[in-house]
Amino acid sequence: MSDKPARAIKLNVINEPKENYKGGPSSLCPGCGHDQISNVIINAAWENGIEPHRIAKMSGIGCSSKTPAYYLGQSHGFNTVHGRMPSVTTGAYAINKDLLYLGVSGDGDSASIGIGQLIHAIRRNMDMVYIVENNGVYGLTKGQYSATADIGSKKKKGKANETQPIDLCALAINLGCTFVARSFSGSKKQLTSLIKAAMSHKGFALIDVISPCVTFNNNDESMRSYQYVKENEVTLHMADYIPHFEPVAEVEVPEGHFTDITLHDGSTIRLETISDSHDPSDSMAALTALHQAEMDKKHVTGLLYFDSSKPSLAEDLGIVSTPLLDVAASELRPSEEMLNQMNSEFLGQ
Amino acid sequence: MDTIVNDFTINIATANGTGSQSANLILLQSLFDMGVPVSGKNLFPSNISGLPTWYIVRLSEQGYQAPGDRTHVQVLVNKATWAEDLASLEPGSVVVWNTDSKMPMDRTDVVSYPVPMTKLARSLSPKLAKLVTNIVYVGVLAEILGITDKALHKAVAGQFKGKASAIELNKTALELGRNHAKENFTKGDPYVVEERPIEKDRFFFEGNEAVALGCIFGGVQLLAWYPITPSSSLAEGIIGWIPRLRTNDEGEATCAVIQAEDELAAAGMVLGAGWAGGRGMTATSGPGISLMQEFIGLAYFAEIPSVFWDVNRVGPSTGLPTRTQQSDLAMLYEGSHGDTQHIVIMPGTVEECFEFGWRAFDISERYQTPVFGLSDLDLGMNRWACEGFTYPDTPMDRGKTIREQDVFDAMENFGRYRDLDGDGIPYRTLPGSGMAPILYRGTGHNPDGVYSEKPDDYFNLMTRLKDKINGARDELPAPILREEEEGDVGVIYFGSMENTIEEIDDMLEATGLKVSQCRVRSLPIHSEVEAFIRRHKTTIVLEINRDGQLWGILRRELPNDIVGKVHSVAYSDGMPPRARIYSDKILETLKEVNQ
Repeated sequence: MSDKPARAIKLNVINEPKENYKGGPSSLCPGCGHDQISNVIINAAWENGIEPHRIAKMSGIGCSSKTPAYYLGQSHGFNTVHGRMPSVTTGAYAINKDLLYLGVSGDGDSASIGIGQLIHAIRRNMDMVYIVENNGVYGLTKGQYSATADIGSKKKKGKANETQPIDLCALAINLGCTFVARSFSGSKKQLTSLIKAAMSHKGFALIDVISPCVTFNNNDESMRSYQYVKENEVTLHMADYIPHFEPVAEVEVPEGHFTDITLHDGSTIRLETISDSHDPSDSMAALTALHQAEMDKKHVTGLLYFDSSKPSLAEDLGIVSTPLLDVAASELRPSEEMLNQMNSEFLGQ
Repeated sequence: MDTIVNDFTINIATANGTGSQSANLILLQSLFDMGVPVSGKNLFPSNISGLPTWYIVRLSEQGYQAPGDRTHVQVLVNKATWAEDLASLEPGSVVVWNTDSKMPMDRTDVVSYPVPMTKLARSLSPKLAKLVTNIVYVGVLAEILGITDKALHKAVAGQFKGKASAIELNKTALELGRNHAKENFTKGDPYVVEERPIEKDRFFFEGNEAVALGCIFGGVQLLAWYPITPSSSLAEGIIGWIPRLRTNDEGEATCAVIQAEDELAAAGMVLGAGWAGGRGMTATSGPGISLMQEFIGLAYFAEIPSVFWDVNRVGPSTGLPTRTQQSDLAMLYEGSHGDTQHIVIMPGTVEECFEFGWRAFDISERYQTPVFGLSDLDLGMNRWACEGFTYPDTPMDRGKTIREQDVFDAMENFGRYRDLDGDGIPYRTLPGSGMAPILYRGTGHNPDGVYSEKPDDYFNLMTRLKDKINGARDELPAPILREEEEGDVGVIYFGSMENTIEEIDDMLEATGLKVSQCRVRSLPIHSEVEAFIRRHKTTIVLEINRDGQLWGILRRELPNDIVGKVHSVAYSDGMPPRARIYSDKILETLKEVNQ
């Protein structure tokens, strides 16, 4: 028997152990980038001190869309249909706008079958975090190219892709998306900061995460393999997230240049300049960075674009401040007197 | 000459986009206000401006509401259909025609009333001549037929509520038409309108508007929709009522409205609302339902309350977008891939449109399943006499939804899909509640909602779903029966056929038959329908479609020993049902059956 006292379980700011943010065991291929992202989601939610039951896990269909079973086991979730998670989330949001909607999708789900719904959710500035686990191939159907496959990239089997890819970040910026970031499942620190910041954002937050498919697209000729992304990632800045419950003053100030962006809930994302500075309020600069990276066959990562000035869907709907879910029945059904009065009016009396 | 009082059909041929609709509604309303039993049918094109439109006004002392077999009074304004409309008239018909259209009036066997409609209209307002032309013919008809100024003026005031200049202009135009007729014509036709005492207070209302109002009183919390004829006015009706009926003093609404990017998204939003614990709905037509199939299956399998209104138009494909049919029934009943079965409720009157509007939400939350309201263009977009709407007689039924922690704690053996009460309906908790969270899914699942491919889990789940919907059978709106003692012939029908059935029945009974009627108001079929069939020697299932969809459902679900007694009469040409066509077809079928 050991004399050492049992190690105290580490709790977050709302006194929850990390255990309460975990989910079931993953059934994805060992080494899948998606599992790394699931772990980052668990960490981000735990460290941000969000009550697990106030999160709604939303997904479509595909390898990535299976992952909500592997994190946040105490949150309700909805694994919907292929490419249509945005609309289901929009409807749920209209009824209960106080939940944190965390959507996880893939490149097949978001860039092909569901691109219309993604576009319109962005257009409405739906209040949600939308993570695309982007590996350039369809995994569950065994390795067909998706619409984000890079030109010249070659998956394990078949020819190199020659079809123009859809860059979801460029698309989102052009649509006026209010939070656009790209990251890599292997860049745990950056991804954690970005997901935390997205959770603190009011409006649509898109994070396109390059997440290698170890089974069908991790070979040397692939531009979405672990090796290739590690060697060709261009990081815009170091990103640090400072939660609202931690005074910014107590955080160590970096030596070089940095920009602090205040998020909706009072948290801060601190972007530390690495080489050239990137201004995330400049959509032109963001698009240029994306196009440059594409020409150079690189992957640019970081917070590409941010805009806190636009109203989100809740304001647009013009509904009561209480979530509609909690509105009393007496407010939902007009009175009998009202119906009698209307009957009289219809009669012209 | 003998006069024919309050028993004839007026057909008005115009082009759409010319403002004829408001003139025609004034004609209809003024007849209604004189106590004349009257109905109006708008036959409009899928187009905004310039294509042929007909408005049919049927006056019937018997109260028949279908368009009659023939036209007695024809108004000719539209050049495009002039020759055809004129040629189709029976000798002795009345023709009120616009001499300014420079079209030939070459029939000598009709009663002709030539009117320089455009000139008269121009003399009043050159700018608005096109609009005013329509009111001029109403004035002419008023004089020829005997419609009172009192009724006309009341209708005008109702049509242009509070717009003094429009009211004045229309009154003057009516006067121009009336005076022209007074000065130039001697009445040479038998058709006359006579005032009748108003026995029951009634008003005109469109089915779509009535469903909309019903949904508002049903506590709808999310309307997600995509515009499509002929359902748009249902969604727009809801939007129109929200400011008055569902908005607080601060101007905030208790019902969200989202115009979706397509029908798929609209359905997804409805499911999201139901999943979150709210009352979500959409309004669409057949093509929209086709697009929503995948979500319908998800709602059935994951057991998500969701309400879909289908205002049926003519299919398949784009079909005839502005014509009426009852052809979506089979698709609704078995919507989506795999084995499914859905609850469908079919109103036949505007009063029922209101009632089913609120009831759909109660049924959907009670059974945790999609519920379809099936209306059609005829019922939805035409005006029907309405006796007033009845307030819901039950409080909102939110079903087996656990909202309190102590209730949840007291439960034993909870599982999202576990049948604890033996009625096939499980309990549910809501996102955000922290109670028994699960990941909802469209994949196979066990009673706890966990993914499962086990044969027993799948088989038990599908069996429970079947039992659940079966259990709803006799809780849904029961059929309306009008029965003859003889048990001779029984006619089974649904929906808007209600407005033609009386005339069909009279035609059949004129041949000496005794005919009972059974109006089905919900699927799955109520047990009273089977009992009705057993009580009759022969039953006919009467539908406005080609294939006899309700008949098909009955044939599959009825016990074998009575299937042979059930025969189909199905017909559709896009037009609202005309009684003669259906009664003839019923007689033909009976003849075949009895051979």
